Amino acid sequence: MRGVSKAFPGVKALDNVDFELRPGEVHVLFGENGAGKSTLINIIAGTFAQDSGEYRLMGAPVRGLTPHRARVEGVSPVFQEFSLVPEMTVEANLFLGREIARGGVLDRGAMKSRAAKIIADLGFDLEPGRKVADLSRAHQQMTEIAKALMGEVKVLILDEPTASLTEREASRLFELVAELKASGVGIIYVSHRMAEIRQLADRITVLRDGKLVKTVEAEGVGESELVELMTGRKIDLLFPHVDHKPAERLLEVQGLTLEDGGVLGVDFYARAGEITGIAGLVGCGKSELIRAIYGLEAIESGEIIVAGDAYEEPDPAASLDRGLCYFPSDRVAEGLALDRPIRENVSISALALDRFAKLAVIRRLGERKIVREIVDQLALRPPNIERAVGNLSGGNRQKVMLARGLTRETRIFLFDEPTVGIDVGAKVEVYELMRRLVAEGAAIVLVSSELPEVMNLSNRLYVMHRGRMVAELTGDEIEEQTVLASFFREDEAGENAA
Amino acid sequence: MSESAYGAGRPGLGGEAVAQQIMRVGLLPLLLFLSVAFMAVFEQKFFGLNNLFNVLRSTSFLAIVAAGQMLVLIVAGFDLSVGAVIALTSTVMAKSMAALGVMFPEQNAIIIPLGVLCGLGCGLFIGLINGLCVAYLRVSPFMVTLGTLSIATGLALLLTQGIPVYGMPDGFVTDFGRALWFGLPTTVYIALVIILLVWFVQTRTRLGRYLYAVGGNLQAAIVSGVPARRNVILAYVLCSMLASTAAVLMTARLGSGQASMGGNSMMLQSIAAAVIAGVSLRGGVGRVELVALGALFLSILTNAMNLLRVDSKMQVVILGIVLVAAAALEELARRRRGHV
Amino acid sequence: MSDVSGREVGRITPTAALVKAMLPIALVALLILFSAAESRVLSLGNLSNILNQASYLAIFASAQMLVIITRGFDLSLGTCVSAVSVTAALVMTGSLATEEANALAIVGGVAMGLTVGVLCGLFNGIVVAIFRVNPFVATLGSLNICMGVATMASDGRPVFNVPREFSNIVYSGELFGIPAPILIAAIALIVLHFILAHTVFGRGLFLIGANPRAAEVAGLPARRYVTQAYVLCSIMAAVGALMLTGRTGSGEPNLGGNLTLESIAAAVIGGVSLRGGVGGASSVVLGALFVTVLSNGMNLTRIDGNVQMIVLGGVIILAVFLDRFRSATR
Repeated sequence: MRGVSKAFPGVKALDNVDFELRPGEVHVLFGENGAGKSTLINIIAGTFAQDSGEYRLMGAPVRGLTPHRARVEGVSPVFQEFSLVPEMTVEANLFLGREIARGGVLDRGAMKSRAAKIIADLGFDLEPGRKVADLSRAHQQMTEIAKALMGEVKVLILDEPTASLTEREASRLFELVAELKASGVGIIYVSHRMAEIRQLADRITVLRDGKLVKTVEAEGVGESELVELMTGRKIDLLFPHVDHKPAERLLEVQGLTLEDGGVLGVDFYARAGEITGIAGLVGCGKSELIRAIYGLEAIESGEIIVAGDAYEEPDPAASLDRGLCYFPSDRVAEGLALDRPIRENVSISALALDRFAKLAVIRRLGERKIVREIVDQLALRPPNIERAVGNLSGGNRQKVMLARGLTRETRIFLFDEPTVGIDVGAKVEVYELMRRLVAEGAAIVLVSSELPEVMNLSNRLYVMHRGRMVAELTGDEIEEQTVLASFFREDEAGENAA
Repeated sequence: MSESAYGAGRPGLGGEAVAQQIMRVGLLPLLLFLSVAFMAVFEQKFFGLNNLFNVLRSTSFLAIVAAGQMLVLIVAGFDLSVGAVIALTSTVMAKSMAALGVMFPEQNAIIIPLGVLCGLGCGLFIGLINGLCVAYLRVSPFMVTLGTLSIATGLALLLTQGIPVYGMPDGFVTDFGRALWFGLPTTVYIALVIILLVWFVQTRTRLGRYLYAVGGNLQAAIVSGVPARRNVILAYVLCSMLASTAAVLMTARLGSGQASMGGNSMMLQSIAAAVIAGVSLRGGVGRVELVALGALFLSILTNAMNLLRVDSKMQVVILGIVLVAAAALEELARRRRGHV
Repeated sequence: MSDVSGREVGRITPTAALVKAMLPIALVALLILFSAAESRVLSLGNLSNILNQASYLAIFASAQMLVIITRGFDLSLGTCVSAVSVTAALVMTGSLATEEANALAIVGGVAMGLTVGVLCGLFNGIVVAIFRVNPFVATLGSLNICMGVATMASDGRPVFNVPREFSNIVYSGELFGIPAPILIAAIALIVLHFILAHTVFGRGLFLIGANPRAAEVAGLPARRYVTQAYVLCSIMAAVGALMLTGRTGSGEPNLGGNLTLESIAAAVIGGVSLRGGVGGASSVVLGALFVTVLSNGMNLTRIDGNVQMIVLGGVIILAVFLDRFRSATR
């Protein structure tokens, strides 16, 4: 790939990037969320085409690639968003699009035995006859990997494949990667986890803000060097110095368990004047925890205490009234009405207040004035509040969300992956806003999969794993080794128990 | 990256899921059994041979149409036009048979097959319009089929001016439409064959899998190389063709082509039968054997209400309530199963 | 920070302007076309006739629009109209109706009709918003129920002898020379415009339609608003039903007939998006005018009723195309 660029409305996702994969190597793609990794692998996998630049596969230039043709050519992607049909069985999913059939009639025996053989070869414990919807995320992940390896694979793309696997399953996957590598398959591996990168990588390509930073040999690259390449600045320049002045406990949770078991018996608290971080792998329940507090997940048992008062049966409107505000990670699905103007998206949570409406009639002038003030304060560019949110970049969209929290008196801010999909400049501004809020005495709960982010901003850092709180770290204890160690310590314990 | 809603291994889910499954499959047979038992106690006339034949006939018609409706629902679509297709097929077939009868007097071997083909052609035509609009222009299936509903009804009325069309060969009516084979109405055999065929397609063929895949997760299907558009079009064409087939049988039974045949009540009942049988309006779920049971249940319900002299207007109300209740139950069960 | 596109809400690009102007242009073209075939089309009498007829459709289309904005649907609108008409007429012709107390009978009838509307809307709203049943199935169910109520209450026959005073007010009445139907429709549309553009509820409907999940996360009482939208929809349908009852002078169990279809068609043709979040009072006025002109012109040029049905079907499909085209240029 040479000089590949891709723009989406509002963002330039890839800018003149070169990338090369050799047969039989593991090439790690490294970068923050939104750096362009997923855009790059999506172009390689044929999900969409590049705007400019050249893409050559096995030496031949590629044009008009579709995901299906890419698979036929031997490019097999395993994305985090699974390409499985939930209502179908594992076996039917494995063979989807390449069923063994004669004249349209399925050869069920042949497929059954081949599915069994493939699963056995991979060493996964999967039942081919079960419906995918009934499987755990880890098993769905295995199904997805098995599906990717069904045909003749020349290029395998793995996007954070270990995020939901146990350590044993992950080490089985590493063996598999080694075998495939030995047989000449080129593997593109996306991961944030240093331990994996050290173990697997031959070469590492670092992306930042859609631009290629550097491709380096894995041998002899230090971790701090990688992180610096990734963020583009010394860590202490990216993250502001937050002056934590912990005061009273504004939010406390005791023994919280969700109905679907995503969070199990969790205790934690957040104090005014500090950032409380929660780290953990995808699917560990950290996001569900704050969603439950805000009233978006069904709670089975446990207590939530807000500013000293018990808070029962949370729901979003009541949470807002109590000064809680939640900022969802998926701003497109849960955050913003993209076709509506900025003004309406900002004032949406405060329409019940007298400042915005009298007797259910909206005070349009007042609304416009208040929203404009907040938007100016956040340096939203351009400051035209009548523009549809769908036209904004990721960073500006997040600012619209943040503005929502400022339309009313909010003391507890629940951030769910606040910097997903926004560029470094906007990140710095979001961090700066957090610093200011904490200085003004707000309590911030920061949930993030981005380890440097939670580690550098949090005064106290909780670690969650498989729905449970497994560690609470303060001060010097907050470093990558300790955090990662607490993920896996629990895994081993869990496996021994099972 | 956003976190998923899946818990990492939920204890006891397996058992619960099995119980749910039994409940979903078991509810219909239970309802059927209860309604038959109820009739056994309160109205013995139900078990008269003629009445049973009536129930079986109307079940057959409904099951064929509902099977088609199910195929479209599986690809996350909708077909409002089935009733209108029935009306159009009925009138076109009767008209063309009458015309052919003038051209080739007494040549039933020519008149009947050609007439039936003309009728089925209507189904093919409307199905193609529906499928092409939905698949290629990605227009809401609701609006497209509302449009074709209006068009097909208008055509049928235009052809007949609302007057029944006679002139089909007698043999078609007496030896086929109203005949018994081995003691059962002919329609029942044809319906059984169709249900078996659809069942075979659903469980044993690539097409069946593709239909489920397209409705269950369109993106995944496309990425895996499933020709999604072609399968969507096929689903709509099959649906209209099945409705046409039912129309042929109904017309043969009645002895005349009528623009009032089918109509909104057939469309409504076909959706009701599918929804009662657990076919999801979100696509990707649905089995023809259950849909056939759903059709049986609705037919028994209607028949029982007739026998018990429930006002026909009241019957409409009851059908509406049954439909909403079934959909509400499905939604409840889906939410109980959690985020899928 | 890069803002690639310079699009704004409200700012109009040439293509968007063209799309926006398409409907008024089509409306004029249609009038010219019909008047070429039949000169009576453009006569003053016929134009006021068109306006008069369009006011009924505008009311039904606005009702439909309220729920379509929330990504919903109301298939029961037509039969709800029948049920309202029949029940209201029964009260008006019932025991209350004596020579001296006709006013009481009329008030009672109107109250009855509105109550039936509220009940129907409540049923739809609760089933859709609380039980989360697909609006299509939910309103298909209530379609049946209303149909049953209408035919049972009237035994399938029209309810005659609705007090003439009622018709004199809502049908042939005039204020400042404006016929009552046009006046009522104008008032209803102004109220509707105010609700949609200036109240928290109206704002909520658009936000819910644009992104239902986000609206809930942001703390809007989405379920309540959706329920209220269905209730308001049925109330407006009931108002229209009462106007129609006044016009025919009897309660008709088949009054609703094609109204569901026509109301959806008029709303969609006017530019209300089936994907939710888009709509406005001016859209339904234009849509209703278009459909009315179309059928009025076809009537005057003596086009067969069945052909008209086919044309309407084609227009519906065309309208959905335009909807896609519109959302692509927006």
